[in-house]
Amino acid sequence: MNSAAPPPSGPHEESVSLPAPTPWPLLLAAGITLAAAGLVTNWVVSGVGIMLLVVALAGWIRELVSHRGEIEIPWVEPELRAAPIKPAAARVEALRPGMPGHRMRVPEKVHPYSAGVRGGLVGGAAMAATALLYGLISGHGIWYPINLLAAMILTNFADKSTVELEQFSLAALGVGTVIHGLTSLAVGLCYGIILPTLPRWPMLWGGLVGPLLWTGATYGFMGILNPVMNARVEWSWFFVSQFVFGIATGMVVARSEKVPAERPVPRSRVSHERRY
Amino acid sequence: MAVAEPLAMRTELSDTARLRAWSTTVDHKRIGLLYVGTSLIFLVIGGLEALLIRWQLWAPELRVLGPTQFNQLFTMHGTTMIFFVVMPMLLGFANYLVPLMIGARDMAFPRLNALSYWLYALGGALTHFSFFAGGAPDVGWFAYAPLTEYTFSRGHSTDYWILGLLVSGLGSLFTGINLLTTILALRAPGMNLARMPLFVWMMLVDAILLIFAIPPLTAAQLMLLLDRSLGAHFFDTQAGGSALLWQHLFWFFGHPEVYILALPAFGMISEIVPVFSRKVIFGYESVAAATVTIGVISMGVWAHHMFTVGMSDVLDAIFSGASFLIAVPTGIKMFNWIATLYGGRLRFESPLLFAVGFLAMFVMGGLTGIMLAAVPIDWQVSDSYFVVAHFHYVLFGGSLFAIMAGFFYWFPKASGRRLSERLGRWQFWIMLAGFNLTFGPMHVAGLLGMPRRIYTYSDDRGWTLWNQLATVGALVLGVAFVLFFWNLFVSWRRGAPAGDDPWDAWTLEWATHSPPAPYNFETIPPVHSRRPLWDLKHPQDPDWILPDRAQPEVIA
Repeated sequence: MNSAAPPPSGPHEESVSLPAPTPWPLLLAAGITLAAAGLVTNWVVSGVGIMLLVVALAGWIRELVSHRGEIEIPWVEPELRAAPIKPAAARVEALRPGMPGHRMRVPEKVHPYSAGVRGGLVGGAAMAATALLYGLISGHGIWYPINLLAAMILTNFADKSTVELEQFSLAALGVGTVIHGLTSLAVGLCYGIILPTLPRWPMLWGGLVGPLLWTGATYGFMGILNPVMNARVEWSWFFVSQFVFGIATGMVVARSEKVPAERPVPRSRVSHERRY
Repeated sequence: MAVAEPLAMRTELSDTARLRAWSTTVDHKRIGLLYVGTSLIFLVIGGLEALLIRWQLWAPELRVLGPTQFNQLFTMHGTTMIFFVVMPMLLGFANYLVPLMIGARDMAFPRLNALSYWLYALGGALTHFSFFAGGAPDVGWFAYAPLTEYTFSRGHSTDYWILGLLVSGLGSLFTGINLLTTILALRAPGMNLARMPLFVWMMLVDAILLIFAIPPLTAAQLMLLLDRSLGAHFFDTQAGGSALLWQHLFWFFGHPEVYILALPAFGMISEIVPVFSRKVIFGYESVAAATVTIGVISMGVWAHHMFTVGMSDVLDAIFSGASFLIAVPTGIKMFNWIATLYGGRLRFESPLLFAVGFLAMFVMGGLTGIMLAAVPIDWQVSDSYFVVAHFHYVLFGGSLFAIMAGFFYWFPKASGRRLSERLGRWQFWIMLAGFNLTFGPMHVAGLLGMPRRIYTYSDDRGWTLWNQLATVGALVLGVAFVLFFWNLFVSWRRGAPAGDDPWDAWTLEWATHSPPAPYNFETIPPVHSRRPLWDLKHPQDPDWILPDRAQPEVIA
C-alpha cells in the first residue's frame, strides 16, 4: 500500500518516496487480455497470454519483495511549487438577522421530543378508552375493538365470526396493545415535531386537521392493512376516537414548555475545534 | 497577477521516453489522464456509431445500413458509451482528483491502479476488435438470453462482448477497491468523514456500488461463456435454463450502474455549484446522507427493468415502490443545489453553465424515470423510444453535462491552462440545443409507439418528423463535440496560463501547483473544516470557529 498522507506543514526533507514506474501492470493486463482473446481466436494466443500473465505476476511480486519498487523523488524547484495561499483582501460580511438575504431558521422554539412521547401515551390511552366505550355501547363488548385491531397481524381472525371476535383472546390483547402503543407513540412524536411549525392554532391542527387527515389515509388503506376491520368498522366511532386522540395529544404537546430549536454548541467542542 | 508557465509544458522528453513514462506510470494523475484520454477516443467511436444510427433512421425505408449492421451499431454504441466512455471517464476524474482532494500522495494501491487502467483499455480494445474479426456484437448492450445462446448467436461476436467486458470489468472492480481504501485510509490529518469534499463522498459510495455491482455481471458473463463454449444450460430455455436469471443478474448490476455513472456527476456538481455561487453548499450533511441512501436503495430496484416479463403483482409493487423511493434522496440533492444557487453571487462561466444545464436536463430524465417506475406506464412504453429518451436524459443530460462542467473546472489543474471560455459558451448552447433536439422528440416517437432497435420503419406510422428532428439534433451535437475537442487540443497547447487556483476555490486540490508535482503536496495545508482553503484565505472568518455567530453567506 502507498505511504500515508503527507505530513502537515513543518520542516521536512525535500524528497518523497513514491512507487516507481513499472511495466508489470501493463504486461499483466496484456496477459489477461490475450488469455481471454485466445478463446475466440487461437489457443496459441491464450498460451502466450498465460505465459505473459505468469511472468508479469512474478516480476511484480519480485519487485515488491526486494523493495525495488520505490524511488526517491526530490521536490521540484521552489519556483515551480504551489504558491503559498494568501489571505484574501476582501473581507467577509456575515449575514445577521434582519439583513437582506438573511434566512431565518423557523421555528425558533420547538417542543421537546419527550412532550411528543407523553402526548402519544396520553392520547393513546384516551383513544383506547373511547374504543372500549364503543364496544360497550354497541353491545359487542370491550374485546371486540381490540380483536379487530389485532386482526391486522393475526390473519387467522379473518375467518372468525362476529361472535368469536367478541371473545377474549390473549394473543389479540398483546398484539393489539403493541400496535396501538407503537402507533400512538409514533404519531405523538410527529405531533411534537410538526405542531410548532404550523401557524397559530395548534389545537385546530392537532385536534381536527390531524385526525381528519389520518382518518382519510386510514380509510384509503384499511382494505389492505386490515380487511377484517375494514369490513366491520363503524367509521363515525373511528373518527371520534381519532378526534379524542388528537385533542388529548395536542393538549399535552401544546402545554409543554418549548426549547430553542438550535442547541448551543458545547464549550468543550468549541475549544477542541480551536486547538488546530 | 503573473502566472507561471505550466510545469508540464516545460518537460522535454523524446517520444520514446514519453511513451515509456506513460505506459509504466503508477502516478494517479497520469493514470487519471490516461482514463480520460482513452475514454475520449471511445467517445468519438460511440458518437460516430450514434450518427450512423441516426442517419439510417432519417427517413422511412432507408437502406444506409442493413439490419445486421444496425444491430451491431446500437449494441456497440450502448456498450461503448456505458462501459468505455462514461464510467471510465468518471473513474479517470476520480483517479485524478480523489488523492488531491483528501491530501494524499497517490491512491492506496498505485500499481493496482495502473493494472485497472490497462485492463479497461485492453478490454475496450478487445471488444472493438470484433469489428475486424467477423462482426461486432449485435445482441444489444444488455444482451438478453436466450438471444445470446449459441443457437441464436453464431460466430464469436457475442463472445467478444463477454470477454471484453469481463476484462474491463475486472479493472472497474479493482478501481472500486482502490478508491474505497484510499478514501478510508489516506485522508489528510484533520479530514474526518464529515469534512470530506462531497465529490469524495460520492466516490466513496460509488466505490462500494462498484464492488457490489460488478461481480454479479462477471458471474453472469462467465455463466454465459460456459453456455456458449462448454454446453452449459444456465440461460438455455430449451434445456431447462432460465432466461430471466440473466435479466436478474444483469440488472442487479445494471441499475446500480446507473448510479455508478450518476453519483460522480453529482459530486462534480456539488463541488462546482458552491464555488461559482460563492456560498457553502446548502445542507452538506443531507447531500452526503442522500448519497448513502441512493447507494442503498439503488441495490434494490433492479427489477423495475423487468416489469414486462410478468412478475407477480407483489414484486411489481415492491420494485415500483423502491423506484419511487429513490426519487426522494435524488430530489433532496436537487433542492440542495438549487438552494445553494439561490441568493448566491453567481459567476456564469462555463463550469456553472454546464452545471445548470445538468440540473435542468437531469430533472427531466428523473421525471420520466418516475413515470417509468409506475408499472402501468412501463407496460405501455417499455422498449419504446420513450425509454431511449429517458435514459439519454439521465446519462447524457445528467452525467455527460456534469462531466463537461468537470472538464472546464478541473482542466486548469491538470494542464495549467484554461479552456477557452468563448468556445465553452458556444459549446454549451449548441450542446444544449442539440441534446434537446435529439432526445426530446424521442419521447413523442416512443409515445406514438416506435419500438427501440428497429432499423427502419414505414412512412405511415407518423414517426418520420420526430426521427428527422432527432437526426438534425444529433448533427448539432456533433458540432458541439467538435468544438469541445478543438478547445481541448488548442487549450492544452496554447491556453491561457491558469495559475494554481483560478476559481478561488476551497478544496485541497487547488493548494497544489497546476499541474501538480508527482508527489502532489510539499506540505499539506491544515484541515480544520470542509473548506480548508477558505480558512487560509479568510483567517479572520474561518469555517471552523462559527458555533456562536451567523454563518457568512455573502462575500463583500
